[in-house]
Amino acid sequence: MVRDAEPGVIRRAHAWMSRPLPPPPAVLRQGPFRRGAFDTRGRSPRLTSLLGIALGVAFTICFATGLISHLIQHPPFWFGWPSRPVGLYRVTQGVHVATGLASVPLLGAKLWSVYPRLFAWPPVRDPANAIERASIAVLVAAALFQVISGVLNVARWYTPMPFFFTAGHYWAAWLAIGALLTHLGVKLPIVRTALSRRTPDHSAAGTLSRRGLLGTVGVAAGLITVATAGQTVAPLGPVSVLAPRRPGSGPQDLPVNKTAGGAGVRDAILDPAYRLTVVGPARTQTLSLTDLAGLAQHTVVLPISCVEGWSAVGTWTGVRLRDLVALAGADPDDAEAYVESLEARGRYRTTTVPPPHIRDPFTLLALRLGGEPLHPDHGYPARLIAPNRPGVLQTKWVGRITVRSAS
Amino acid sequence: MRAVLIAAGALVMAFAVTGALTDPDFKGGALVFLVGVLVAHDAVLLPLTIGAGALIGRFVPLRSRPLVRSAALISLAVTVVALPLVLGPGTDYGRGLLEVYGVVWAGTGVVLVIRRVREGRRRRGDTRPRSPLPDPPPARSPGPPPTPGPAPRSPAPGTPPR
Repeated sequence: MVRDAEPGVIRRAHAWMSRPLPPPPAVLRQGPFRRGAFDTRGRSPRLTSLLGIALGVAFTICFATGLISHLIQHPPFWFGWPSRPVGLYRVTQGVHVATGLASVPLLGAKLWSVYPRLFAWPPVRDPANAIERASIAVLVAAALFQVISGVLNVARWYTPMPFFFTAGHYWAAWLAIGALLTHLGVKLPIVRTALSRRTPDHSAAGTLSRRGLLGTVGVAAGLITVATAGQTVAPLGPVSVLAPRRPGSGPQDLPVNKTAGGAGVRDAILDPAYRLTVVGPARTQTLSLTDLAGLAQHTVVLPISCVEGWSAVGTWTGVRLRDLVALAGADPDDAEAYVESLEARGRYRTTTVPPPHIRDPFTLLALRLGGEPLHPDHGYPARLIAPNRPGVLQTKWVGRITVRSAS
Repeated sequence: MRAVLIAAGALVMAFAVTGALTDPDFKGGALVFLVGVLVAHDAVLLPLTIGAGALIGRFVPLRSRPLVRSAALISLAVTVVALPLVLGPGTDYGRGLLEVYGVVWAGTGVVLVIRRVREGRRRRGDTRPRSPLPDPPPARSPGPPPTPGPAPRSPAPGTPPR
């Protein structure tokens, strides 16, 4: 070790951090703090390490896919997201939700395996130990926060969450991944020893063996996946009895998150005086539904992929957004568009369509779904549908498009 | 390596805290929820689960116990995922949840019965001619959930976790 070579300050700090603290009076060692309060035979560093590694992989997948979804919705200047492959976001977000749901039994088993350590005696040995325990509390709380708030969001049940889900889930993700890195650094030697040496299984008769518990977690994760993944993997639909959304449900055989009634646009969209306003650098166009239907119509088959993990494919017909951009006098190969809904308010009332999606001929201002005019809940009279984008950015009930040059 | 991981983790956590505090969309309710889920899990759900496990240890015959524990844990995990769907707005998922319970416990029952029949046959000496049906493969059970390593273990002295 190079510790001897370290300057005196660091050495003194290190000594202070590992200075033993006075233990609390022994009389307080009651209940779960008693020696032998837990049957620890079924628990082992090897079990905890295996569960921890699986959970670490699951959380890393969730973090990466979740970050992608966040960056698409709030792109910083350095971030770009392509318009192809059309179903890429469908995959990343489907994996995000499926992995998060499957980590429920993993997290439960992992926390059970280390539960006796919560009642270690003395509760705090030295300042370094206090910091480590605090960081574990942060990790456990953040992990539970992510899994439980995610499950609640998939069920669209917001009453138990006294905060804005998106912001809470995003910042708790950073907290969880940071605490996970620190935890891995602290526990690395234990994990290495536990996995490099064969440890006999000491679990008692009548309890789950180590392999039995790992198998149980695997079956539970698999069952949860089969019971929910039908929301995006259509062939699983019939057995996915717990799928939060079913492809094929909803008007025009496509699920809906926000209805026209819920958005308060019913009167505005059925008004015969409806006009789409396209504002461009050269001119402003006002188009009636008849005008829009008179422009070149194109049909694309594209999925709606919701951030909540469900997705379903529709056949959309309408005007290419790049044609509208050209109509407003901008260069469709180098433009972005600010699309506004007829909704009076709402966090997803507007969206910016970046240059790659404007360029893509699959990006439509759709007027029809499955050959029929859009159902009001699907965005009648006109909605945005673009390849490889989250559903919340596929603005419905479009009333105004502002085109700007991207460069 | 370890120091790098620990320091990087601390930096990321600091980023999370400052980011949350400066985000106008972030509400203090998230802190309440953060502490709430920790307390609800560590002080309520996990003790109840361990208590349920003790009840299984008290009332379920020794040889069936691991499998019943396994089925109970699977049911618990499915419940955590499904309960918000059942209690939340929209479609009622109560029936779907009951169907999953049905599959889990029916599968468990089938495995237990098959195992009992097989053990009974073995105990009777197995000298009589066998039934015309070939024996099922001995190691793995058919259908979900698979047998979670039910062999009785030697009650070795406890090794405390580290």
